[in-house]
Amino acid sequence: MTATSAAALPATTDAAPAARRWAAPLWVGALLIILAFLVIYPLLMLFFGAISDSNPVIDGFGKFNPSLTHFIAVLGNENVRLAFFNALVACGGGTILAVVIGLAFSWIVVRTNTPFKGFIAGASMIPLFVPPLVAGVAWSILGSPKTGLLNTALKWMGIDFRFDFYSMSGLILVFGFYYAPYVYMFTASALRNMDPSLEEASEVSGASAFTTLFTVTFPLIAPAILAGSLLSFVVMLGIYGIPAALGAPANISVLTTYIFKLTAWSPPLYNTAAAVAILLMAVTAIFVWAQQRVLSGRSFATVAGKAFRPRSLNLGPWRWFTFSLAIAYLFIVVVLPTIALVIAAFRRFLFFKDFDAVFDMKAYSWVHFNSIFDNPLTMVSIWNTMKVGLITAVVGGVLAFAIGYTINRTNVAGRKSIDLLSTIPVAIPGLVVGVAYLWAWIGLPGGLYGTIWILALAFVARFIPDTVKSLSTSFMQIHKELEEAAWICGRGLLSTIATIMVPLARPGIIASMTLLFVLAVRELGSSLFLYTSDTTVMAVLLLDYYEGGNVGKTAAFSLVQTVILGVLLGITTWLSRGSAESTARAG
Amino acid sequence: MSAALLIEDLVKKFGTGKAAVDGVSFDVPAGEIVVLLGPSGCGKTTTLRCVAGLEHPTGGRISIGGRVVSEPERGVLVSPRERDIGMVFQSYAVWPHMTVHQNVAYPLKYRRKNTSGSGDIESKVRETLELVGLGEYAQRPVTSLSGGQMQRVALARSLVYRPQLLLLDEPLSNLDSKLRIRLRDELRRILKMTGMTGLYVTHDQSEAVVLGDRIGVMKDGKLLQMAPPGEIYNRPADSFVANFTGASNVLKGKVLERKGEQAIIDLGAAGRIEAWTPQPLVAGDKARVALRAENIRLGERGPANSFTGRVTERRYQGMQTIYDVEFGDQKVEVLELGTAARHNDGEIALTLPPDTCWAYRDDGQATVD
Ligand SMILES: Nc1ncnc2c1ncn2[C@@H]1O[C@H](COP(=O)(O)OP(=O)(O)OP(=O)(O)O)[C@@H](O)[C@H]1O
Ligand SMILES: [Mg+2]
Repeated sequence: MTATSAAALPATTDAAPAARRWAAPLWVGALLIILAFLVIYPLLMLFFGAISDSNPVIDGFGKFNPSLTHFIAVLGNENVRLAFFNALVACGGGTILAVVIGLAFSWIVVRTNTPFKGFIAGASMIPLFVPPLVAGVAWSILGSPKTGLLNTALKWMGIDFRFDFYSMSGLILVFGFYYAPYVYMFTASALRNMDPSLEEASEVSGASAFTTLFTVTFPLIAPAILAGSLLSFVVMLGIYGIPAALGAPANISVLTTYIFKLTAWSPPLYNTAAAVAILLMAVTAIFVWAQQRVLSGRSFATVAGKAFRPRSLNLGPWRWFTFSLAIAYLFIVVVLPTIALVIAAFRRFLFFKDFDAVFDMKAYSWVHFNSIFDNPLTMVSIWNTMKVGLITAVVGGVLAFAIGYTINRTNVAGRKSIDLLSTIPVAIPGLVVGVAYLWAWIGLPGGLYGTIWILALAFVARFIPDTVKSLSTSFMQIHKELEEAAWICGRGLLSTIATIMVPLARPGIIASMTLLFVLAVRELGSSLFLYTSDTTVMAVLLLDYYEGGNVGKTAAFSLVQTVILGVLLGITTWLSRGSAESTARAG
Repeated sequence: MSAALLIEDLVKKFGTGKAAVDGVSFDVPAGEIVVLLGPSGCGKTTTLRCVAGLEHPTGGRISIGGRVVSEPERGVLVSPRERDIGMVFQSYAVWPHMTVHQNVAYPLKYRRKNTSGSGDIESKVRETLELVGLGEYAQRPVTSLSGGQMQRVALARSLVYRPQLLLLDEPLSNLDSKLRIRLRDELRRILKMTGMTGLYVTHDQSEAVVLGDRIGVMKDGKLLQMAPPGEIYNRPADSFVANFTGASNVLKGKVLERKGEQAIIDLGAAGRIEAWTPQPLVAGDKARVALRAENIRLGERGPANSFTGRVTERRYQGMQTIYDVEFGDQKVEVLELGTAARHNDGEIALTLPPDTCWAYRDDGQATVD
């Protein structure tokens, strides 16, 4: 960071004994090797796969016939272009909807006196935690053109309209609704930090509230809107579960579902999958880069220097209108899908002769739950998921701590490279990580492929940027002086870390590890390519049930997964609330 | 013509707790500038925002140009954009995503009663920018301007459409002190040139004196006195007003007798003192006499209120000298202008002209600052 921290670091002082002098380069080297192993090697293999036409399973490891012609042929392929086009339309449309919803929500929560604002703000974050496949499953139960519950309801009401969520518009709607919180997070904080007199000046000048919104408010938070929409676009682009559930029945492939389709063919087209994965990664990288540019740019909204009271518009009776808008949103993204899953999971058959049949208790039973737990794979998958989650949390947490400490607290040569390597995965969608790990290990006999370690390491690589970032924030809160005081007391570096840093940063470490655990449990994209029947995980098994076509079992297992995630999230929030308190005490 | 602004018994309460503005009444005749002066948190900004319509009053009535714009009892609440007012904010509130020209042209573009053509807009903007001395900056992005220049843009923006009433909330307090003094004088010149009616809020008394045709002193949501600056400074209605405007010496004593506005106060060992009082004091009341350090005359024996005291300390400040003087068991600070310190430590004559000694009932309150 600064020159003083370099001078203060025992490992880099001239007077240090030889062993100490070698410690820093060895440490940096070790970290670089680990990161190269986790990130660079799989990516290289992915690139080789994309530009060769040898099959790693048949031809063995290390046989390449590198040539760009294959890659170019793939990019020219009509199906690839169609999937690319579909992905842009679905994610673009979804982003536009997400911006509309996210902006409306942030305005309601930050700028109005809508009742129960706090509750609305909290509850509107729920969609972020819903696994995409569960959302997709729920909406296919609700909105499938023939048997969808919504359509059944419309029929009873004698309304001639039918929903069809197995369509591009269905995909856009579900994307937009579930990823609006990403836009909301950015715009809400921008609005909150905006000097309210900027808007008041416009009103006093004679502009209407509407004009003010479009000539002052929105232009001022434009960077936040842009950053939020770029992020939600990138996230949608990498999602597999929703297009798999809603697009597949209508034969709409996006990049992610197309890549998986390629590896599921027999024989699997691993090379083509790698080439398309690189295309997906390139698009993602461009958008991530653009988003970082926007975020690092100057923000208009913080020009004013004075602290201010946030402005709250008195909407009068209209505040119940904005309240009902918010409730309608929560109903659509949380309540309705939950009802759908519960009905589908507990009903023997998802057929309703009339409206009263909904309340016919004889039609409900535990049969689907019994049948999923009769399947030995169910318990295996739950057990595997927990194991993978635990390994990911521990390995990822320790690695992220080492990286975060080295980047933020030392001035050793090579820490910039560590920073760079550990940031690369932000631009790699989960599914691409999966394909890259597949290429890295499938041809190696006796390697990781087929073990749960490959899943865990892929997850560690995928989530390392987020983990390092969240840990770095907790490092920032610990004063450098606390550490220096320990050195002055004659403690060595390692002992200082063990006695000062770890205890002080412990709440942050625990929070990061539990978050890592939750992320690993809900990850589907990268697992798709890496599981075997022994190492299947919950998310993958859910996809199996869905593709097997049994709605009852799918819904039942969705509920099981949701409950497990809910419990884990509850524990996480509980742990990190404790951490917030003790950080406040320590800081 | 009726008053440009009339405020009657304005009350504003936020949630629970005591009123931020508590029964304030005053008027601003057309063409006059009224300054609200008071310590932090006394309700100046709240009053101003009620006038602007940015805050909804709890009670009372506000009329602008003879039209009632706020009267909660009758459910009247005209929105800010229909009040025909201009407002300059403490934080400038110039829009950073626009150029100087766009900022100033904005009100002309978006006002409802927009009758001017685009050529008209152009000339009005240019004229107003010339007025505030920013003629050459029209095409600059506002973010490239200095704080003082931004505040001029904000002023131009609120003047460009010639509103009936201009509201200014501590427009100079974000500027450094030199610039503040320059812009203060310029502001008065511009406002007088345009003949604007203004309500100006500040906690800086020098600003209030220079800018205000009348000054209203506020405390805890109440308007204590509303008068021309000379009267505020020479006939403060209340010990808070006296103290807030700089009468830092307080002598405690008992009222001996009162004749009209004349009171005799017994200061104990120091003797008795003649003072002016605006309050109906009666003999036996506890009283405090306020007087300004610059109004005491050292080394002079006047016809009344002259005492013999002792200089205990002398603080030379270059342009002025401050003396700590004791007489009887009373202590005062005396300020003399001039680069020479004329008096030495030791015994000295002093005169406290009765006109500049103001007696108030001693209600046991602490003084500000
Ligand atoms: N929106 C609000 N909600 C609650 N209380 C408020 C609000 N605005 C002002 N107050 C309270 O009302 C009182 C008067 O505030 P006001 O801003 O009018 O003071 P002021 O005289 O302008 O002070 P300053 O010189 O510090 O700007 C203060 O006690 C303040 O805390
Ligand atoms: Mg104020």
